[in-house]
Parts: sequence; structure tokens; C-alpha cells
Amino acid sequence: MERVFVTGTGVVSALGIGVDSSIAKLRNGESGIGSAKHFTSKYTETLPFGEVDLSNDILIDLTNCSDETGVSRTTLLAYLAFGQAIDDSKLTSVELKSIRTGIISSTTVGGMCHTDELYTDANLKGEPSEYVRSYGLGEHTTRLIKKFEIGGFSSTINTACSSSANAVMLGARLIKSGRLDRVIVGGSDALAKFAVNGFNALMILSQNPCKPFDKNRDGLTLGEGAGYLVLEAESVCQNKKKLAEVVGYGNANDAYHPSTTSEEAFGPCYAMQRALDSSKLNVNQIDYINAHGTGTVNNDETELFAFHKIFGEIPAFNSTKSYTGHTLAASGAIESIFSIAMMNNNELYTNLRCSEPIDTYGIPQILEYKSGVEINHIMTNSFGFGGNCTSVIYSKV
Amino acid sequence: MYITDLRSISPQKTYTNEFLKGELVHHDGIIFNVTEPDYMELIPRGLLRRMGKAVRMGVGTGLPLIQNNKNIDGILMGTANGGLENCIDFLNQIVEYDEGMLTPTNFVQSTPNAIAGQLALMDQNRGYNTTYTNGGHAFENTLLDALMLFEEGNAKKLLIGGIEEISNYNYNIDFLADHYKEVAVGNFDLIDSLTKGSVCGEGSNMFIVESAASEYYAKIEDVEQLTFPKEKDIELCINSILERNSIQHSDIDTLMLGMNGDIDHNIWYEHVSEKLLPNTNVLTFKHLVGEYRTCTSFAVWLAAHILNGETTFMSSIEKRKIDNKPIQHILIYNHFDEVNHSFILLKK
Repeated sequence: MERVFVTGTGVVSALGIGVDSSIAKLRNGESGIGSAKHFTSKYTETLPFGEVDLSNDILIDLTNCSDETGVSRTTLLAYLAFGQAIDDSKLTSVELKSIRTGIISSTTVGGMCHTDELYTDANLKGEPSEYVRSYGLGEHTTRLIKKFEIGGFSSTINTACSSSANAVMLGARLIKSGRLDRVIVGGSDALAKFAVNGFNALMILSQNPCKPFDKNRDGLTLGEGAGYLVLEAESVCQNKKKLAEVVGYGNANDAYHPSTTSEEAFGPCYAMQRALDSSKLNVNQIDYINAHGTGTVNNDETELFAFHKIFGEIPAFNSTKSYTGHTLAASGAIESIFSIAMMNNNELYTNLRCSEPIDTYGIPQILEYKSGVEINHIMTNSFGFGGNCTSVIYSKV
Repeated sequence: MYITDLRSISPQKTYTNEFLKGELVHHDGIIFNVTEPDYMELIPRGLLRRMGKAVRMGVGTGLPLIQNNKNIDGILMGTANGGLENCIDFLNQIVEYDEGMLTPTNFVQSTPNAIAGQLALMDQNRGYNTTYTNGGHAFENTLLDALMLFEEGNAKKLLIGGIEEISNYNYNIDFLADHYKEVAVGNFDLIDSLTKGSVCGEGSNMFIVESAASEYYAKIEDVEQLTFPKEKDIELCINSILERNSIQHSDIDTLMLGMNGDIDHNIWYEHVSEKLLPNTNVLTFKHLVGEYRTCTSFAVWLAAHILNGETTFMSSIEKRKIDNKPIQHILIYNHFDEVNHSFILLKK
């Protein structure tokens, strides 16, 4: 069966554009969370956000799409990160156009980030807005296919906050099954009144930048961004730079509640165990976990319990949501990209704002930057509403 | 993979047996609403009240399948829009109450993965669980994923489905985007209509699929999808399906086409039925259930019953009849808005 390698990555988040500048900030412990400048919502006065500090006009310039109409911010962020990923992997236009090249993207809000236009269009309150064909969740994928001329299979996933982790998983399976040679996987979500008001109604937004795995954590911080990874079959990337190998993945449903994780952490445990089983690695071979780590009371407690159940002795872990906020559908891909860079740099980045770490099982939280650490296998977790849980394991090449 | 059980809520009486017995529901407007069953026996009242239509229809079709089929290894749903009514109800509250304190029910119910999540919860199913939202390919994505799960040996039995609801909101949005006819035609005149636009449909069609079975409705052999294809890509795609499944053009005795009454959309279907597979029976289905992004799930429901020997309703869906031989293979060809094209091959 084909081995699956990551041969390129692209990312945009509150840490900026591109992997290198994001990693520089992770290394220095510089959070991207702060006051929103471009997002309009009454909550920008009171809540912090992990905003991408680029206006839509600048994003349109950066992605050369001023000739298109109705390009949502979700799509603009996707264009930027997707373009970086295919450049990083040096994919040719012949490769992109091949029927053996696919795309799997994901989003939870899609074009619905343009709330006011959607309100007008859905309620027939005026002339159609420029976004009238752009609200659908598959729309950004269709536009990526058109812009970058992707020739093969396409999919869009919405399993809430585990969406792009499932995109990685499906992509790797398509290559292993022999159906594709390469597939660009990931996701994009822009800040949206819809999500802010939804999470606020659930009372899980913190008034302060999130504090994952801290005893005094009190909720999550919403962010935005996009991340894409180029996955290629070993047979088509033999002479290329390889950033990591996708060695394992597991998907499970917690089957407990629409918006909270069970005390027993069934879903997280099954997702991690299935990922470990498919990777054929032992628990003691995992050197680092990028936790889902939203900073809510429920998530961090249940995730930590799941670590304890699966690993016994818990490996070093952090939540990079303390830098970017929770980027929803994009989080699995963005956090995979950060984790892979961390593994290749042999570094561990600090879990920010964890001044009183939860210490029920010792303190495996990474509380300060470390370099020269041997990291060979890493796991990344993504858990979502609807009980959707997915874990992915990458190995150093 | 084998379809061993199935359920449908559609604008026809498919939830009960009337449709299979030949009773047809006529629709004269642009909106083809489903005939919803009485859910009270199935869903507790308190839970039912909180459910939006997409979740309600999804649970209405999925729950009986879960109850009748034990040991399901996973749940895979396709829905382009999910519970859009809840979604925009929530949005309207955001705008009209100027982002005041809102109740989260609409928000939680509106996420497209709420259907697969709710079914997992009701079945206490901690297996593989996913939701595809890829426009006109959302249901096709579930088929391919299920085929791969069986190939990988990671599942023996799965619940898969396609769901779309009509709300005023998505009708308004798609109306503004020119998807619908300006003047309605009766549904039995839809396919041959000479005007632009289609009609708005909805439904929930779900299947128990198994990797091996001795008794079954039909076998799903393959699925292929194309986005923005050129004319020649359609032929290449059909040829690759035939080659992969070791069958000839002449083995495809029946085409089921997604003709939706939009005169601008027919060119693709005519290319397939007149040039590429001219010696086939041609069936249509969107005059029964309307156009929606996951309506190939209804086509699969219909094809499975045909391959299982149901024939009473055939005269209402036949567009071209070659002979009276029993149907062995049905190739479903559909496109949504000329963007998402798909082929699904079923076998007796």
C-alpha cells in the first residue's frame, strides 16, 4: 500500500501569512490574539479574537482575484493558504490538472461570514448581493478548483471543529486506496457573527485570551484562518522534499451530547486509539500531542482525562489555539502544519497563559520553549460539535 | 456494496408504500415539499420540538434503519446545506436583536453535522462518523467513503444518506441566484419544459449498505464525480467506470438522468443518452422530487427498488424504452448547475 507524505504546506492565521513567520512567533511565544480590526460585530468591543490582520481588499490583492465577484473572506483565506501549499510542494500545472490530483476542503461558515448580505438575500430585503451564489459550504472548494485548475476528485467536509482533520484522513485514504496520486487537503473559516453569537449563546467564549489547560480557564477565543497540506503518494514524490509522513488516523463519535464531550471521553479516546492502531506505533513512541485544547472547562478536562486513559504517562503537549484562537474547520490543518514544523525543528513551543496548569496527571503541558528535543512521531487532535472526534499521527521523514 | 435496507422521505409518498404501489403526488408549483410522516411514534415530543426540518427528516429516515439493523459500524451523511432554516432563524435574531443574548438551540441544530451526530447519539454509535457538504457532490462523497471503508476492511455495515430541506431562506437565495423557473409547470410536464430554471425539492434518503449480503435490494458498484468537466471528460469517465467494473457499453441497459426541466441543462444529458449510450432505457426522477443538491440519494433509492423488481411506478419515470427485458444495470448520471457532475452505477 502507498505511503503518504506531506510535500507542501500553506497557512494563514492570526500568526500571519506563511509557515516560517508563524513558527517564528510560536518560538517567541507571541500570541496572535487581540482586538479585532477588520471583523465587525458588537463583540469586538468586549471579546478578544484571533483575527487575520488583513482586510478583504488586501486579501483580494494578495490572491489576484479582483476579476471575480462575490469572493467570500473564507474563500480569500483559502486562496492564500492553498496557493502557498502548492508553491511549497512545487506542483506543476500538469500535475494540478491531472485526474489523479484531488482536493478536500472544509469550512463551517463558508460564505455565511457575510452575515448582513445573507440577511438581505435570505429575507428578500433588496437586490441580490454579490455573495448570493457564495454562501454554500462547498462554494469555496468549487472556487479553489476553478482558480487552481484541480483535475480530480473533490470533497468538502463539515464535521464542525474536526473538519480539516477529517480532510487529512480522507485524503490519505484516497491515496492509499490507489485512487489518487496527490490531494490537497485542509480548511478555511473566517470570523463570522454567526459563530461568535452561537458560541456566545453557549456561554463558552472567554472575555480574555483563552488559557488552555490552565486551572482558571474559562472559555475559548474564536479565531480565523486557513491551512492546506499537499499529500502525495510515495511513488510520485520520490525526489521531492518531504515534510512528514501521514502514518495514522482515527475518527469516532462521542455519542453523548450535541455540544459537550462525555465525562468518560469516549469519542476522544476512540479517535486517539484508532489513530494509534492504524499507525502501528506504541503509545510511548508519541513524542508530542497538539491538543484540541480549546480552553473551555469541559474540553480541556475531558481531553486530559482521555490522554491519561490512552497514554498513561502523557507525552509533552500544548494547544496552539493559545496563539491563533479556535479556527474551527481550519484548526486541524493549521495545527497539523505547526506541529509538523515543530517536529522538523526539534522544538517544543510554549502553551501560552497556562500559569496554573491543571496538574491532575503531572504537568506534561509545555510551559516553556525547548529546543534540541528529539521528536519523531506526533499526534494532533480535533474534536467538534455533534460528537465528531478525529486524531491524526505524523512521523518524521 | 449491497443496499440491504432503505428509507425515504420525499415529495412522493415514499415513507409508506403508496409510491411503490403506483400512487403519485402531483406538484404544480415551484416548491415540492416532502410528505412528512407522523414522527410522534419515533421521536420523543420534547426532542422533536427542538429539531429543525433537516434533522427531523434525517432522524425520521435514519432511526428506523438503526432500530432494524444492529451493529452499524459508522454513519456517513451528505447535505449541502444542513438545517438552513435554523441557521437563518438564528441569523435573523442576530441582526434583529443586534447581537443580543440568544438561545443556542438554533445554532446547534443548524450545523450540517447535527444529523449524523444526532443519529450517532440515538444509536450510541461511536464508530466512524462524517458529514459531507460538497454541494452537488455531497451524497456522492458518502458513497465513495463507504466503498473505501469496506475495501479497507474497517466496516461491514454502514448507514449512509443524503438530506436537504427547503426553507423559505434557501429558496429565496437560490431564487435570486436564478435556479428556479419564473412560471411553474406541472411536475409531469417538467422534464420536457422548454424554459430556463428548475423547481425546488427536498428529501432525506438513507441506506444500510453492507460489504457482503445474500439478500439485498441492489448492489452499488461504483461512483465517479467530475467538477467543471469538458464534454470529452464525460465519455472518458463512463469508459473508466466500465473498464474498472469489467463491463461493456451494451451491459448498461438503463440510464437514470437528472434532467430537471432547465432547458439550458439538457445538453449534457442528451450527449450521454443520444451519443454515448444510445441503446438504453432512459428514466428520469426530478419531476417526482424536485431539484436539490443531494437528490441523487433519491435516484439511488428509486434505482434500488427497480433493481429489486418493483415496476408499478415505471410508466411515470420512463422517458425512452428500448425493450421489456429485466433491468440489470442502472447508470445514474446527474449534474447540479452544470458544475458538479456524477455517475453512480448500480447492479441487480
